[in-house]
Amino acid sequence: MKNIFKLLILTSVITLTFTGCKKDDDDTTPAGGGSTNYTSGDVTIDFTNTAGTTNLDVSGATSYINEAGESFAVTNFKYYISNVKLIKQDGSVYSVPESYYLIDEGDQSTVTPVLPSIPGGIYTGIRYTIGVDSARNVSGAQTGALDPANGMFWSWNSGYIFVKCEGTSSASSNGNLVFHIGGFKESNNTNALRNVEFNFPSPYLTVNGTREAEIHIIADVLKMFKGTETVSFAANNFQMSPGGFALTMANNYQNMFSFDHIHN
Amino acid sequence: MNKLLSQFSVGLFALSFLFITSCSDDQEVSTAPEVSFYVPDGFPQPAYSFKNNAFTPLRFELGKKLFYDPILSRDSTISCGSCHQQFAAFAHLDHFVSHGINDLLGTRNAPPLFNLAWHSEFMLDGGVANFELQPFAPITNPVEMDETIANAVMKLQRSSLYPSLFRSAYGSDSITSQMMARAITLFMAGLISADSKYDRYKKGTATFSDAEKRGYALFKAKCESCHTEPLFTDLKYRNNGLDSRFNDAGRAHITTLPQDSGKFKVPSLRNVALSYPYMHDGRFRTLSSIIDHYRSGIKQSSTLDPLLINGNMSISDAEKADILSFLNTLTDQTFITNKKFGE
Repeated sequence: MKNIFKLLILTSVITLTFTGCKKDDDDTTPAGGGSTNYTSGDVTIDFTNTAGTTNLDVSGATSYINEAGESFAVTNFKYYISNVKLIKQDGSVYSVPESYYLIDEGDQSTVTPVLPSIPGGIYTGIRYTIGVDSARNVSGAQTGALDPANGMFWSWNSGYIFVKCEGTSSASSNGNLVFHIGGFKESNNTNALRNVEFNFPSPYLTVNGTREAEIHIIADVLKMFKGTETVSFAANNFQMSPGGFALTMANNYQNMFSFDHIHN
Repeated sequence: MNKLLSQFSVGLFALSFLFITSCSDDQEVSTAPEVSFYVPDGFPQPAYSFKNNAFTPLRFELGKKLFYDPILSRDSTISCGSCHQQFAAFAHLDHFVSHGINDLLGTRNAPPLFNLAWHSEFMLDGGVANFELQPFAPITNPVEMDETIANAVMKLQRSSLYPSLFRSAYGSDSITSQMMARAITLFMAGLISADSKYDRYKKGTATFSDAEKRGYALFKAKCESCHTEPLFTDLKYRNNGLDSRFNDAGRAHITTLPQDSGKFKVPSLRNVALSYPYMHDGRFRTLSSIIDHYRSGIKQSSTLDPLLINGNMSISDAEKADILSFLNTLTDQTFITNKKFGE
């Protein structure tokens, strides 16, 4: 009898010790329709930031012309990409876990984020969010790409800056351009989150072990200032809070990305 | 059988111990159980979950050290504790708005700090939507501590002291802004004020004078709907009729909604006698002047709180005296003299 109790307690202890620490790591959505012929591998997204058809220079030394005909230079261009999803040929969707990336043209180590261990198979498209989803805006202090130390966070009105574009323009009343665009609250009509989806042309993206798989996407800074509404720097040279003009900018930046090509 | 039972209970004890400690792989067990987070009698469950930031004495002590360390300001001149003084229930006594580095003035009255784990939004306009994000606001505010988060973390990392303290508290001496914010959060979470005369009266261990009893009844009739027990705030944003035009848009500054103009978070009345001056801009110096505001100063505006829509409240001089007596029972001497919270 005594031994049975001891055994029972020991077993319980072991069970509890092992199950008590379950981490929240099971939010990976398994990709349906996986083929046994393919093995998982990394996928790189290569973001090329441009001003029109030329590579973007964020040193402030190159002059560009916006849709309103005003000349300007760029000193800072950063944005968040999150909740990346890859669409398989069978229509199933693989959600890349913890996919939050801060793309900073001034730091080339950030412009080619790697999506790790993507299930093997053929993928026909990609979806992602420009910005940081509302849940992560209110989930407490974050780390990594979402570390507020990265300078993409408003502390007085807690939330992430989704897209930051800074520069200079003679059209601006003070010579400066400061566009910090964010906001996630639907109830306040300040939601600047925008979703992007691209379908790949055939041949599709193949993920199979160590073979190189790359998705090349272009982000054109000129498109931040045109599209839904042409932005004149004489009228608008800054935005540093959610709502209002930030929504105009969000409607523009929704279309600033374009799919270029894939590498298999 | 007795022996067997006792073995079983020892086993259960061991089991529960293992169950608790097995989930805290990133924290150390302290032998000095001086401070703890607890839910006082009659309080609801806290809004802050502690799920990713369990309360431990080591983390509390680290948070306290950060709270009182001017290293977090750009020029190392002011700390959180500069504007949040324990003897004023962690408000800034006699300062109508916040004072930052280089004698810069803010635009709002530094609020007292206590029972914050029951709040889900912070600041007078509720702009900070998570307890852990609150420390970033004063650190980065240009007229408060004016430091960048990256620089604050770098200074902590380079100090001779902090890396080992973070290792003890959070299991790593590679300091992140998350660890910094979480430690300060736990210090603030530990600032629980629930031992006023009012609390003792509710427990039956203190008695109210006749004036205090009358004041409590008047409070329930006239104040309770916004200053709801036991926190003495309903945590909502309201315009209490200070102005007909607003110099400070308050809550609307955050929501961008016109209907939120001139609204501010309802402050707790706990320790109210200690934390003058009052209102978001510190315009009132005395409790008496606050009651006078509700008796004769309410100004109409489109966002005036519906509960005040009929204008000035009817409060006689005798009633006012009774209400003041009651408000003084909300002073928590244990809280303001607790050495665990001090510098």
